[in-house]
Amino acid sequence: MSNIDAGNQVSEHDLSLIEEEERAEKRRRWLLLLLLLLLALLACVLLLFIRYLRQPEPLPEMIPLPVDVNYPPHYLFSIYGVDKPVGVAYSLRNDRIYVAETGGKRLVKIFDRDGNPLGSFAPPRTMPGERSPVYLAVDGAGRVFVTDRLQHAIFVYDENGTFLDTILGPDLTLSEYVLKHVNNLRPDATFAYNQFEHVVYYKSPGEPERTLPTPEPAMWAPLGIRFDRTGRLLFTDVRQERNAVYLISADAFSPSSWRNFDPPVISFGSTGQGDGQFLFPNSAVADSQGRIYVTDGNNGRISVWDEKGQFLFHFGGGSGEGALSLPRGAAIDERDRLYVVDAVGQNVKVYDVSGPEPDFLFAFGDWGMGDGQFNYPNDIALDRYGRLYIADRENNRIQVWSY
Amino acid sequence: MRKLILATVVVLALALTMVGLASANGGPHGGYTATTDACAGCHRAHTAIGPRLLVRSSTYDLCISCHGSAGAGANTNVEDGYYLSSRDDPPGGADGNVGAANTPDNAPLLGGGFQYYQGITVTSSHDPTGTVLAAWGNAVDRGTTADLSEGLSCASCHDPHGSPNYRIIKATVNGVAVSVDQVDEGAAKDYDTEQWGAGMSNICAACHVAYHETGADVGHDTTNQAYGGGFTHRVDMPWNGDALTDPLIGMGTNNPETVGFGGYTLPLAESGTADRVVCMTCHLPHGTSAQMTGFADPAFDPSGPQGPIPAGDSSLLRLDNRGVCEVCHQK
Repeated sequence: MSNIDAGNQVSEHDLSLIEEEERAEKRRRWLLLLLLLLLALLACVLLLFIRYLRQPEPLPEMIPLPVDVNYPPHYLFSIYGVDKPVGVAYSLRNDRIYVAETGGKRLVKIFDRDGNPLGSFAPPRTMPGERSPVYLAVDGAGRVFVTDRLQHAIFVYDENGTFLDTILGPDLTLSEYVLKHVNNLRPDATFAYNQFEHVVYYKSPGEPERTLPTPEPAMWAPLGIRFDRTGRLLFTDVRQERNAVYLISADAFSPSSWRNFDPPVISFGSTGQGDGQFLFPNSAVADSQGRIYVTDGNNGRISVWDEKGQFLFHFGGGSGEGALSLPRGAAIDERDRLYVVDAVGQNVKVYDVSGPEPDFLFAFGDWGMGDGQFNYPNDIALDRYGRLYIADRENNRIQVWSY
Repeated sequence: MRKLILATVVVLALALTMVGLASANGGPHGGYTATTDACAGCHRAHTAIGPRLLVRSSTYDLCISCHGSAGAGANTNVEDGYYLSSRDDPPGGADGNVGAANTPDNAPLLGGGFQYYQGITVTSSHDPTGTVLAAWGNAVDRGTTADLSEGLSCASCHDPHGSPNYRIIKATVNGVAVSVDQVDEGAAKDYDTEQWGAGMSNICAACHVAYHETGADVGHDTTNQAYGGGFTHRVDMPWNGDALTDPLIGMGTNNPETVGFGGYTLPLAESGTADRVVCMTCHLPHGTSAQMTGFADPAFDPSGPQGPIPAGDSSLLRLDNRGVCEVCHQK
């Protein structure tokens, strides 16, 4: 009996030992799991740190936020590496930012929306002192249209900056001109134009480069350029004799149209200070109702027109809240809020134009060289994530703001 | 009573003439009314950043907001030295347009450019950014510098509020009264033909006074002994003066403005029967891209009396090397 009891006691002792080992084993497993979790967390932190070192810019927003507020945006960061930028545009197709410089080599530079440089381009066969890219617009296909003040032309590039064609006037493209003068030109022929040389260059693959005399110059001086939400091209003309706005229908820019370019054009306005007149209109944008808002630079006001080119009214002149000093680039968002860059006001003024009368909402920015301060801003572009890109000319940067 | 009425009419006529001249350059540079909003384009009454209540501390940055290469507010692009204009008129103004409307696309500006001139990077220019505080021969010996009353800027020479002088040149520059007539050349009146009268050198002499030698004794200093004497080229003289009869000078008989030499011409100041050689005949006040090589390059003699001038510096000369000499003297 005592032996049995003794056996039972050993067995119970063994059992307790086994149980203890099992508990220890469980603790080890938990500790191992915890260790693995900690290691995974550490690896994540290290990966994020390495990513930050490689791309030291704020992390992109993960969820596109609907911009449904009427308070000013806040400053996010700046894109540097640009010289006296005056124009900025956003491509909905690939989320790229295009910037026109008037300093340095006077290039158009490409960035992703977080400010990483992707490349640059300029009109073929031009030197920096022969070109002056100012404003830009990107169409639905990602093509970039750039007005050039010295070349008196609109240059067109693909999304990577490869030169496609030049619009030499409201009814003439470079490819059209070459085709009219050269028989059997191959479709893959390339051409170039420089206003300061008196020839047009063209070249078919495998053949030497040839030239043509330059075409009769068009009576225009294109400056501001934008596409509206229906694909129409709006541009301003600041030639001495007639300051005006032009609208070209969207189908003018299909590939088949380039070489037979004679689109229907609506133009309106004249030079002066009265109703329906402009002094250096810098930008024309359309709202959801088709109304067109023109930044009438030297008149210090916004001029409003209907979709058929009939003058309606102007606002933003004079003094007081929302009054403009030198309005330049403009943009309009999906809620019909009009953003106007005031170059000597050193800020961006925002108006609600969804109603019958424009309503000044707020201004953001002031003069300076710090974060969120401007030094002769000139243009603005909006992206689909609620970010705003502002060309800050004398601070040599693109400021990025966000809601 | 009649005299009073006559005097009143004269005063009113003069006043109206002045207003017309002051607003001749348009834009924000004149033509103000009692309720003008033009002031706010450049000034703030209580929130200004720069002196004179300017919205900007640098006058140059403010000016090139309109007059820069973007041409976003003016056709006079002083960074590139072009009048941008449009392609409206045939050469010569055959359609009767005058002034800006008669200027072809990208006509070189008469003052040159600050960044580029005729598409080429400038080799010398005035620095209008407000950092230059001294000028050669400013009431001191030629070849030396003396302080200006203020840092050099666009507003040192031009009056942004309009002026009766040609191209809104200030009536008082560096404390010196300046008068520059605009000469109406009729159908040729435009932005790419010189239209200044014989007083054009006054604008330069307001700072570079020691170089303003006008004496009849050619090439010899007779009036500026106070500034160290020496010799300098005479200015404000008729192009066909005594040099024509001096074989050593070898002056040609061709008018340098209309005939020139080797395909080059130089502008003269309008002055009745005999147009005058002025500072701007040989120099571009904003900047030039003339190329200097060999003897003409300051690097050839860096220890010369001119002191440390950068290699390739063109001293605002209009033509390469010493082309400005040859157009007249034709050696």
